[in-house]
Amino acid sequence: MLSPHVQRELTRIFGEDDVLTSPISCEAYAYDSSPFFAQPEAVVLADSTEEIGQLMELATRHGIVVIARGAGTNLSGGCVPTHGGIVVAMSRMDRILEIDPVNETAWVEPGVTNMALQEAVAAHGYMFAPDPASLKVATIGGNVAECAGGMRGVKFGVTRDHLLALEVVMSDGEVVMLGEGGKYLPGIDVTGLFCGSEGTFGIITKIKVKLTPLAEAVRTMMAVFDSLDKAGDTVSAIIAKGIIPTTLEIMDQVLVRAVDDFLQLGLPREAEAILLIEVDGFAVEVDRQCETIVAICTRLGATRVSRANSEEERKNLWLARRSGNGALGRIKAAYMVQDVTVPRYKLPGMLRLVADIASKYGIVIAQMAHAGDGNLHPHLLYDPYDPDEKQRVEEAAKEIFHAALEEGGTLTGEHGIGIEKLDYMPWAFSQDDLEFMLLVKRALDPQMLLNRGKVLSFAMEES
Amino acid sequence: MGKEYSLQELEKRILRCNRCGTCQDVCPTYRITGNENDVARSRVRLARLVLEGKYQWGEEEQLTANLNACLLCKACVAVCPANVPTDEIVMEARKYTQQRKGLPPFNRIAYRGVFSHNKRLALLTRVIRMYQKSGMNRVVQRSGFLKLLKDWGKAEDLLPPMPAQSLGQMLPDLLRPPASTTLRVVFFAGCAINFFYSRIGAASIRVLQANACQVAVPEVGCCGGPHQSGGDFSEAMRLAKGNIDRVLAQRPDVIVSDCATCSSVLKEYAALLGNDAEYGPRSAEFSAKVRDINELIVEKGWLRDLAPLAGRVSYHDPCHLARGQGITAAPRTILRSIPGLEMVEMREADMCCGGAGSYGALHPDMSRRILDRKMGNFKGTGATILATSCPSCAMQLEYGIRRHGLTASVMHPMELLALSCEKGRAPGAAAQTSGER
Ligand SMILES: Cc1cc2nc3c(=O)[nH]c(=O)nc-3n(C[C@H](O)[C@H](O)[C@H](O)COP(=O)(O)OP(=O)(O)OC[C@H]3O[C@@H](n4cnc5c(N)ncnc54)[C@H](O)[C@@H]3O)c2cc1C
Ligand code: SF4
Ligand code: SF4
Repeated sequence: MLSPHVQRELTRIFGEDDVLTSPISCEAYAYDSSPFFAQPEAVVLADSTEEIGQLMELATRHGIVVIARGAGTNLSGGCVPTHGGIVVAMSRMDRILEIDPVNETAWVEPGVTNMALQEAVAAHGYMFAPDPASLKVATIGGNVAECAGGMRGVKFGVTRDHLLALEVVMSDGEVVMLGEGGKYLPGIDVTGLFCGSEGTFGIITKIKVKLTPLAEAVRTMMAVFDSLDKAGDTVSAIIAKGIIPTTLEIMDQVLVRAVDDFLQLGLPREAEAILLIEVDGFAVEVDRQCETIVAICTRLGATRVSRANSEEERKNLWLARRSGNGALGRIKAAYMVQDVTVPRYKLPGMLRLVADIASKYGIVIAQMAHAGDGNLHPHLLYDPYDPDEKQRVEEAAKEIFHAALEEGGTLTGEHGIGIEKLDYMPWAFSQDDLEFMLLVKRALDPQMLLNRGKVLSFAMEES
Repeated sequence: MGKEYSLQELEKRILRCNRCGTCQDVCPTYRITGNENDVARSRVRLARLVLEGKYQWGEEEQLTANLNACLLCKACVAVCPANVPTDEIVMEARKYTQQRKGLPPFNRIAYRGVFSHNKRLALLTRVIRMYQKSGMNRVVQRSGFLKLLKDWGKAEDLLPPMPAQSLGQMLPDLLRPPASTTLRVVFFAGCAINFFYSRIGAASIRVLQANACQVAVPEVGCCGGPHQSGGDFSEAMRLAKGNIDRVLAQRPDVIVSDCATCSSVLKEYAALLGNDAEYGPRSAEFSAKVRDINELIVEKGWLRDLAPLAGRVSYHDPCHLARGQGITAAPRTILRSIPGLEMVEMREADMCCGGAGSYGALHPDMSRRILDRKMGNFKGTGATILATSCPSCAMQLEYGIRRHGLTASVMHPMELLALSCEKGRAPGAAAQTSGER
């Protein structure tokens, strides 16, 4: 419980209506899209950098934990207040401050949704390259804090590659400008440090991003396979050919069926796996690439390759892909989604391994992957009221993490560590590595107030 | 709307929400406040916490308030990848709350007491009309007389001007035997149409008759929609049974309504009474015959010797039509068929107007903020006519027009079609069939 004094101070800073303290209103901020829950002690709805500055001063004075929150769609528990404290919701700081087509940049507030930015810059012939499947609601602040990737990641990289500058409120309330065009121009890439920091280094209040010109032509294809193996091999073959599609996504049968139940698009329900492939560039170039890709798919055993013939067909295919996670709710009430990566050429083996792990533990694993990046998203489905099944899912998850690391991969491509993967950090990193991260954390947030217990376990922080 | 669940079924639906957050994109209450207490994900979460035993229905005032703040607009349902029926979950929650706590005062007085009994509603309409006409508004407001009408008092500035005659009173002038009958149609005159918007009902009947329908307008009760929204399922079922009896007695080919709420509720009588031994099969027969009026007109085709109307029109999709029944094209097709009328789409045309039945009266602040957004979108079109297919939306939109000092008029597509159609025939025909004042 926050002291009456702190509550009064919060009301003074944010105004009565924008401070939530009742248990019921805090319930709405006790979770994100991960399977974890914990109640905050208060929630504040921020409108400005100044308010957040004052909040952090207050928090530092009283040693209160503060958790930044965008849309609360991260999948690793990044927004869950496991150590109590105050959630600061960025949803109202949602203005696009400047679009500069000449320099191909935009300044936005952190609560702007990825989609709102996409729509605003599309009017100028641009896109913001990172396009997480959650783009309709996920915020740019959340994208930066998680270093979100997306389906275009194969060709354009992740948020880190499109981030230019940040305004950040530090743990003591100081407001700093990092990166290009700011007051402080540090020699090392401090901006980059905040990308993927999961709200543990500072609260991001303004973001300058790089814009990417929209391509002249786009072609979208769907290849249907009667085995997951063949689909995996096809991915490797396409990349080996030197073609870098904008998108190269794989979905297995469980997902295809769940999504088709939702959208009723007539997706190939009999398929063991489908590949969604998109190429962009100049018209002549993409048509040639298309032909090559179709040839490869056919040679490696695709039962069918079809092209989207209209913008609507194309949109439907991507809607199908983006609805993946959500649609799984139709099968089981809960899932744990993993985000392991492996070197691209090891993707087919890894897909197979995950499928084997599913049968070994007798659970349903729905697989999708940003295949072109070797980034797997196995969704381990379970019934939250069935402790035995949950246990088996946890065991299976461990085995998948282990396998990925063995193959020279990583714990997470884009979903972050949060609390979900804390236990595995010591597998992925040496003690030295972890201690170095802790040093950085201490330098920026000596009291460990910002999103305590995320990325680095608090037990370790205390040691 | 329509179905009552067992607790188990309810739990299954609640559990489908895996908190993906997609509903934030469309939920009007969240878009207005940016507070996650006002989004589907959190409403479903609260229901789940009750089922898990952390809270009890009706014990926590704020929990009840959060669930009551839902517009039941189904925008979240339409985009939810996990097919979580948040609107139905909220109605169930209201039902359980009510079972523990009894009906909230507004529901008790306005729904059980008024909507359930036509005569009382007629009386209320007359009282309101007298009050509006006599210029007593200000005196009365100060004296607090209107408080006698309990929560309707809060709704005072929301109410449209009351028509001089209810639809029922207009019927003798209105109904005529058609020259060549193709279809026996029962026109279901819902409460709002009958008492507040008789002009819309009259236009619909004229259009039907002009298009070779034989129209019967039996006396019916409330469709039960408001009761279901409030979680009062037993009263909704009682009303449904009465309506089924009265309407099927007419042996109609089609049952039609120009109120999006009524038609969506009527279409689901089959689901509501599916398990009823006596009414199960009859409710299925009933629901299969129900059509929204736009839907029916487009289905059967309509006379095209239409006279031009001047003006620019923009169309607002009622929740109960767009998502409740999946009808968005038919009203637009009809509006586009009217020569001279320019049709312009507004942004977010299918976003709830914030009216949502009695919502405007119970949540004036939220309702007005949603309405302001709607009005902003409408102004952007430069249109002079705001068309919509539900009297409940019409009431809210007319309030919006007054509130924003606009001169535009709110009209049902049937009013425009009737005008154009009657002008297109003999001059004077319009005056002859018009029962409005
Ligand atoms: C259906 C679905 C599909 C998804 N698809 C993808 C995908 O394709 N690619 C991908 O990368 N991710 C994906 N995600 C995960 C998630 O959407 C992303 O991580 C996204 O970037 C989170 O944004 P958010 O606004 O929801 O952030 P939140 O979940 O609110 O926050 C995420 C983290 O960022 C911190 N944070 C938020 N705002 C700030 C700020 N202003 N300053 C400092 N810290 C802040 C929070 O403390 C938290 O640790 C998906 C999620 C879902 C539910
Ligand atoms: S869109 Fe559906 S599954 Fe997703 S959070 Fe909203 S209600 Fe839950
Ligand atoms: S029905 Fe409408 S108001 Fe209610 S939760 Fe869904 S979108 Fe929001």
